Amino acid sequence: MIKAILVFNNHGKPRMSRFYQYYPEDMQQQIVRETFHLVSKRDDNVCNFLEGGTLIGGSDFKIIYRHYATLYFVFCVDSSESELGILDLIQVFVETLDKCFENVCELDLIFHVDKVHYILAELVMGGMVLETNMTEIITRIEEQNKLEKSEAGIAAAPARAMSAMKDMNIPQKIKDMKLPDLPSIGNLKF
Amino acid sequence: MPTVKGDGMRGLAVFISDIRNCKSKEAEIKRINKELANIRSKFKGDKTLDGYQKKKYVCKLLFIFLLGHDIDFGHMEAVNLLSSNKYTEKQIGYLFISVLIGANNDLMKLVIQAIRNDLASRNPVHITLALQCVANIGSREMAEGLSVDIPKLLVSGDTIDSVKQSAALTLLRLLRSSPDIIPMGEWTSRIIHLLNDQHMGVVTAAASLIENLVKKNPEEYKGCVSLAVSRLSRIVTSSYTDLQDYTYYFVPAPWLSVKLLRLLQNYPPPEDPAVKTRLTECLETILNKAQEPPKSKKVQHSNAKNAVLFEAINLIIHMDSDPNLLVRACNQLGQFLQHRETNLRYLALESMCLLATSEFSHEAVKKHQETVITALKTERDVSVRQRAVDLLYAMCDRTNAEEIVGEMLEYLESADYSIREEMVLKVAILAEKYAVDYTWYVDVILNLIRIAGDYVSEEVWYRVIQIVINRDDVQGYAAKTVFEALQAPACHENMVKVGGYIMGEFGNLIAGDPRSSPLVQFQLLHSKYHLCSPATRGLLLSTYIKFINLFPEIKHTIQDVLKSDNNMRNSDVELQQRSIEYLQLSSIATADVLATVLEEMPPFPERESSILAKLKKKKPNSVPDGSEQKDQMPKLPTAQMSNSSDSAQPTSINLMSQGSPAASGAASASVDLLGLGTPTQTTAPPVGGGDGFLVDMFDTLTTSSPAPATNGMDLGGLTGGAEEAFKKFICKNNGVLFENDLLQIGVKSEYREDLGRVWVFYGNKTSFQLNAFCVDISTPGDLATSLSVQQKPVGGEVEAGAQVKQQFNMACVQEFTDAPILNIQFMYSGAQQKINLKLPVVLSKYITPAEMDSGNFFGRWKALSNPSQESQQIFKASAPIDIETTKSKLLGFNVSVLDNIDPNPENFVSAGVLHTRNQQVGILVRLEPNKQAQMYRLTVRASRDRVAKILCDLLQSQL
Repeated sequence: MIKAILVFNNHGKPRMSRFYQYYPEDMQQQIVRETFHLVSKRDDNVCNFLEGGTLIGGSDFKIIYRHYATLYFVFCVDSSESELGILDLIQVFVETLDKCFENVCELDLIFHVDKVHYILAELVMGGMVLETNMTEIITRIEEQNKLEKSEAGIAAAPARAMSAMKDMNIPQKIKDMKLPDLPSIGNLKF
Repeated sequence: MPTVKGDGMRGLAVFISDIRNCKSKEAEIKRINKELANIRSKFKGDKTLDGYQKKKYVCKLLFIFLLGHDIDFGHMEAVNLLSSNKYTEKQIGYLFISVLIGANNDLMKLVIQAIRNDLASRNPVHITLALQCVANIGSREMAEGLSVDIPKLLVSGDTIDSVKQSAALTLLRLLRSSPDIIPMGEWTSRIIHLLNDQHMGVVTAAASLIENLVKKNPEEYKGCVSLAVSRLSRIVTSSYTDLQDYTYYFVPAPWLSVKLLRLLQNYPPPEDPAVKTRLTECLETILNKAQEPPKSKKVQHSNAKNAVLFEAINLIIHMDSDPNLLVRACNQLGQFLQHRETNLRYLALESMCLLATSEFSHEAVKKHQETVITALKTERDVSVRQRAVDLLYAMCDRTNAEEIVGEMLEYLESADYSIREEMVLKVAILAEKYAVDYTWYVDVILNLIRIAGDYVSEEVWYRVIQIVINRDDVQGYAAKTVFEALQAPACHENMVKVGGYIMGEFGNLIAGDPRSSPLVQFQLLHSKYHLCSPATRGLLLSTYIKFINLFPEIKHTIQDVLKSDNNMRNSDVELQQRSIEYLQLSSIATADVLATVLEEMPPFPERESSILAKLKKKKPNSVPDGSEQKDQMPKLPTAQMSNSSDSAQPTSINLMSQGSPAASGAASASVDLLGLGTPTQTTAPPVGGGDGFLVDMFDTLTTSSPAPATNGMDLGGLTGGAEEAFKKFICKNNGVLFENDLLQIGVKSEYREDLGRVWVFYGNKTSFQLNAFCVDISTPGDLATSLSVQQKPVGGEVEAGAQVKQQFNMACVQEFTDAPILNIQFMYSGAQQKINLKLPVVLSKYITPAEMDSGNFFGRWKALSNPSQESQQIFKASAPIDIETTKSKLLGFNVSVLDNIDPNPENFVSAGVLHTRNQQVGILVRLEPNKQAQMYRLTVRASRDRVAKILCDLLQSQL
């Protein structure tokens, strides 16, 4: 079972965290810190699995992670999961993000935490793999977007029109705001 | 398809940008607090917010939470959102709740109601959202509220595939968190057929659920084996175009294959020959495919392919029946050992560890010894090196032990600090297990101490001493070797301990050589004395007194040392006392007495290596199952707790009465050779108990308590609620004594005359292991002499969700008032937890009811007319008087309820016999209720003084 999925950047700033087992808030923060501490000091060419992490599980528990550009994607799993299988699952997750955000980068995750959660929810549920077929996952997300659009069209029309006027291309602007050299994480070293 | 980020919420984006532009942590906190205040006022304000605004604020809260700030409001708004009919509002509502709500939140009832509505809706999108929320929270309350709805969704014919998938995983989650609540029924029998479902996603989800069910009840779901094999066969043999969408980088349905192969690892090899052949074919095909050239250069292709391959190998190892497959698996892993992908080397080492334990493939694994040793030396990644150590340990046997131990010792000098201690344990175990020549063993251990002294735990050096003492062929060699090792200008304190001990016992064996004459030996040891800790010095003092016996010629030199102010007036009481007493002993006792008192240590009883126990404790999974593993700890008599006066005396006086001062001397310092840890005085067995002194290592290992457990309550008061809980047990024997967020403690007890047996059940409610779990029992006041308590050991850890049981034997010696106190200590998330409870052992438990007629009763009643034999109380009833309740209370008090004796039928008359070890005491009770006034008059008469008063007080507390 997957106990937690964490995404944080090279400085340990959490970008998304999802716990499939209840931990109190401060414990969650500690786990993120501990995990960052464990993975960040490892070279890029060592293996993607490691044990340790005293907070989350004990000896029956592994950290499986991948490092893409500025972000670490970390899955904390117990021994019932296949290590390579999880590694591929991380890949599916990132590829899906990449498709949905078009060259996903760290900023997309920052500004759209909710969307990242929704995408993840199509892959993993209650700590188990739900769906691995990327076509299917993307179809489901597109359905969601359609629903969202249709609802936005009716209800929030006035408010949305205003904000659209004020800011025609906010996502792009935000991307330009800071860290302009942020590499896209999608097309790096698979 | 960048539609995902098409329509951001402007306010949110601005807020996030603000945070990102903050120059300092303080500025960030300030900005966040401002925003929190803003949202709070918006939520509290009278202006009703529309869905869009609520969504925006809830999103902001989520972001703030991610940054590590506690969010203590907004839950109500989130519940409103998830009850909305709009998809986007529902979605964010559910997200907020499942990320931020604890299982015990007050709003859970509302959430569950909303979930139930959504599950009943016809809208699959809403159903899926609701299921996701349940699967992610998975609380008990949800299981209770939805235990019927979800199985229905799973097996219903008109549920669409994606909902079925979600329902399977939701059910799995609820089964995991509250297995007792989910009803098994129609759905369970139909579930295995989902393995045949058209939709691969449904099959994948179902396979996870089925595996969980199978683990609980393999018999009932046996049918899944053939279904899984045929499904697997269809995947493995199909060309990848067949499963277009589920083919991942040219590998057909890798996740499902892995799941199916895992599922099959819950069963022995299939019995049906047809199924078995088909499975063998699958496994062979998978192994064959590994040899084919890759269809893609992408690492995803090889990952997916190897994920399946490794799982197939695990299944082969699990079945452990087909030598051909096992050897092929081993060869495949051998290839991976040299693969350029670190991940594969890591996994290969891990799987080979399992393979090494199979008798068919053990030899095949050994062929790779060189490679593994190279890995140990050259791998750059400590995780991989750790695996190499594990594998070397697993593949070691008599033929290669010397080489492997040698390599490990060599590596130890440069090993990572994080794995040193474990390596030391492993080396020590291998050296002992496969030693043909014990001189080699002694060398290895001394080398261990030399190379990694700081990581050599007490168990390791205790063990080498045990072995040297038990094997006389190695004693001379050991003495010579430690003597040589101690020549080094700087040697580890552990070396001094071993050296001191061994030379004290066997120094005479090397004293013939002028280079190691008695005086030289003594001077060598004494040159280390001042650098050592008090515990080691205490041990050395015992060596010195032993030297006086072995070498009378240096007696005066040693006496001078004992006499020195540094020892006689040492600030450490133990050292002071030893010096004085050893000096006296050496001056007063005759040579014969000395020789008897300071005789060589008798051999230790054979027992399982304590080092192994330590390794098991440290890494429960890393010790391969083997003959040396015994699940049952040796059962040895445990310490009696009732000896308060004797054991309170200084132990070094006691040791004079023992046959072997070295052993007892060690026991009184913290260097106890036999009892591990620090033997506290209460756990020490009665003095003078001769062989009882050799407390078993395991007993003390598991029961020794870190805190000095003196008798009495002064250690700290009782844990809240303990007194009330205790009262509830006066009239009953079983139930829950204590419960908090971490622990549930149940009690079950049985009494037969003066003997009582109490089982205490400690249930770990957390999802963490509780460490250093230890339980001590103390007997305050006069209880020490009135109640004889025996305690069975309880393990040092309690696994997440597990329950451990501990037995106490409680014999009643004479009447008592206080109850024993249970002191429970453990570590939870780094903090020491203490719980002190009153164990419900009261005098009335040792009563058995007695029947008698009216004449008999009143005859006895009159006979007990002495004022000290009677106790009477008049008091207000604590609850409205009810005949049946009162009667059951009396029966629970273990006295009979006798009819037709008292002229007033309202009154209760009871009789019983109290059993103590010393005597039996007759008990008569008369209880007169007054319903108008809601008062009772209670009279107890007993044939022994004090008893009536004690019982009267106990019974009154119940009425």
